[in-house]
Amino acid sequence: MINLPRDISHEKNLSEIILEVENLRVSIETIDKRVEVLRGVNLKLKRGEVTAIVGESGSGKTTLAQAIIGVLDTPPVFIESGEIFFDGIKIFPSNEKINFRGQGINMVFQEPLVSLNPVYTIRKQLEESIEVQGLHMKKKEIEEELSKILSDLMIRDVDRVLNSYPHQLSGGMRQRVAIAMAMIQRPKLLILDEPTTGLDLIVQRKIIQLLLKLKKEFGTTLLIITHDLAVAANMADRMYVMYAGKIVESGTKDQVIKDPLHPYSKMLRDSVPSGYKDSGPLRVTEGNPPDISHLPSGCAFHPRCPLAMEICRKEEPTKKVIEDREVLCWLYDGKQNT
Amino acid sequence: MMGNKILEVKDLEVKFPVRSKLLASKEEKFKIVIEKVSFSIMEGETFGVVGETGSGKSTIAKTLVGINYPSAGEIYLMGRKINFNKKSDLIFLRRNVGIIFQDPVGSLNPKLRIFDIILEGLNFEEKYTKEEKRDKVYAVAKKVGLNESKLFSYPSELSGGEKQRVSLARAIISPKKILILDEPTSSLDVSIQAQILNLLQNLKEELNLTYIFITHDFNVIKYMCDRLGVLYYGRMLEISEVKDAYENPLHPYTKDLMNANITIEGNSGFESETELGEPARNGCIYLNSCRFKMDICNRDPPMIELNSRLVKCWLYDKSQKEDYIKVKGSN
Repeated sequence: MINLPRDISHEKNLSEIILEVENLRVSIETIDKRVEVLRGVNLKLKRGEVTAIVGESGSGKTTLAQAIIGVLDTPPVFIESGEIFFDGIKIFPSNEKINFRGQGINMVFQEPLVSLNPVYTIRKQLEESIEVQGLHMKKKEIEEELSKILSDLMIRDVDRVLNSYPHQLSGGMRQRVAIAMAMIQRPKLLILDEPTTGLDLIVQRKIIQLLLKLKKEFGTTLLIITHDLAVAANMADRMYVMYAGKIVESGTKDQVIKDPLHPYSKMLRDSVPSGYKDSGPLRVTEGNPPDISHLPSGCAFHPRCPLAMEICRKEEPTKKVIEDREVLCWLYDGKQNT
Repeated sequence: MMGNKILEVKDLEVKFPVRSKLLASKEEKFKIVIEKVSFSIMEGETFGVVGETGSGKSTIAKTLVGINYPSAGEIYLMGRKINFNKKSDLIFLRRNVGIIFQDPVGSLNPKLRIFDIILEGLNFEEKYTKEEKRDKVYAVAKKVGLNESKLFSYPSELSGGEKQRVSLARAIISPKKILILDEPTSSLDVSIQAQILNLLQNLKEELNLTYIFITHDFNVIKYMCDRLGVLYYGRMLEISEVKDAYENPLHPYTKDLMNANITIEGNSGFESETELGEPARNGCIYLNSCRFKMDICNRDPPMIELNSRLVKCWLYDKSQKEDYIKVKGSN
C-alpha cells in the first residue's frame, strides 16, 4: 500500500491541478446490456478552488463523485476506461492500493442519516475518524480537537451533540456532523454530494458559509455536486454542467451563469424563477431528461434543444474550446480558437 | 380578478395525541401542531404558505381538505361553516377543495393504471355515464399536458413530472374552487419544475382557480404568489403581499428568511447572523432566535395590523414605538 505524504503543502513545486479526470467512462451492466452512465468525462480541479458540478437527476453527477473516490457499486457499476490523477499520483488505474481516502480525498454523502452509524454516538464516530489517521493522540487532545472542529462548525452545545445518536439530531446538525467527520482529517479535496438538499433555508445558508470558511481556513479544495444552480452560484469558482453522462460546458461561475454557451445551460438558468408573478411565464423547454439507456442519436440534448440543427441529430458534438471555456455543442463549430 | 373571501380560517388549532411513556398511564397528552392560525383567502389569488420543516405547513393543507380534523377554530368555505363531524359538510369541502401532495410516488396507487387513478377524482360524482367519464379523463389529460399513450401505464412507468401531472389531473377532473398545492415541485428537476409552474399558471387562468401554494422554496413563492403567510412552529407570524414581504419584511423571522435566501445571481456576500434556537415555550415563539428581542417578548404577541399587513411581533405594537424606530434604523 502506498501512503500519500501527510502534508506536502509546504513543498514548492506543487502543481496547480489537484485532481485530474481523463476520459472517464463508467457503465452499468444489466442482464441483457451494458449502459454507459459516464461517457468520457474530463475534469480538472484547481487547488484551493470550489468547483461545482450541476445537472439534473440521472446526469451522472453522483456516479462521477463515486468513481473519483472509488466507492462505485462494483458490480454492476464499473469503470470501463479513463484515468484519475490526484496530487500528481495516478490513483486509477493502479496496480497498487493507494491510500488516498481520508486525508487525501474525503466525501460527504447526500443523506447524512445513511452515512452515520445509528448505533454509535457522534463522539464515538468522530473519535474513530481521528484514530484512523494513526496519530496516537491522547484522549484529552482528541477531546480538544473534537470541540474545536464542532465549534468551527458553529455548533453551540458541543457536549449534547457529541453524546447524541444520529437520530436525535436535526437534519442540519447531522449534515454538520458529517462535514465535521470529513474535515477532521484535513482532506486536501472534499467532495460534497448535494450538501444542502433538503435542509431549511437558514441552515442551508449556514452550511454554505461554513464550507466557504473551511475552504479559506484550511485551503481545502471543494467539489460540490448539486442540482441547485443557486447553491452553485453562491459557492463555486468554476462550474461544470453535466447532461446525460457528459460535461456539456465548463467555465468560471460567472461565465456559465451570466453568459452560458450551451443551450442546456441556458435552459437550466432560465428554468429557475427569479422575478415576481408579473414577470411573465418562465421560458421552458418541453421534454424530459433523457433515459440514459435509450439515448437519442447525435447530441443527447437535441430533442429538447431549441437551436437543434441537422448535424445535431446525426453526430455527437466534439469539444470546442472558446477562449478559456469548453463547450460541447455544434453551434460553436468553427468558432473556436486554435 | 380578485374578489370575495372564498375561504376563511379563524383561530385554527390542530393537535395530535402523544403516546405517554408509561403504557399504563391513562392520561392523554396532546401536542399542539397548529396554534391559533387565522387567515383568509380571496377568490382568484395565489396564497403562499412558507415555513421550514416542522412548521405545520402540510398539517394546515391536510386540515383544509378534512384529512386531519381541527381541535378548535372555525373554517368557512364560501361563507358556509364547515362542521367536520358532518358528512355533508366534508363532502362539500372536498368537492370544492382539491389537493396535490409533495410526493407524487406516494400519492398514486401503484396497482392502478393512470386512467383509473384520474377517474378516482370522479368518485363522488354519480351523475355521469361511463362514456362521459372516459371523455372527461381524456380531456383533462390533454389539459395537463399528459400524453394519451401514458393513460394505460402504471405510475412506476412515469417520470416525476408526469406523475405530478397525473395528480393535477385527478384533482381538477371535477370542477374545484380551491387547489392546495403542497410542495408540488420540490421533488422535480428545475426544468420540469418550470414546466409545471407554467402549467399551474395557465390552469389557474383557464379554470378560475384559487391556489394555496405551500413550499419552502422562496424563489418559487416569489414567482407564483400574490400574498404569503409565514409559518413558524404552528404559528402564523406574518401575512403580507409578496412584494412587501420580499422588499420590506416585518417580522424578524421573515427578515432572517429573506436574508438566508440564495438566488442564482449569487448573493451570499454578507453573513447571515441568525443563530437558530429552539422555539420558545412561553412568550413569542421566535424568542430564542430573535435578534431584536425585548423584555415584553416573554408575553405572546397579538397579531398586529400594519398598513393592511399582519404581523405577530411586539416590535410593531404602538406602545413599543420607540423600539420600532430603533430597529428600522439598524436594518
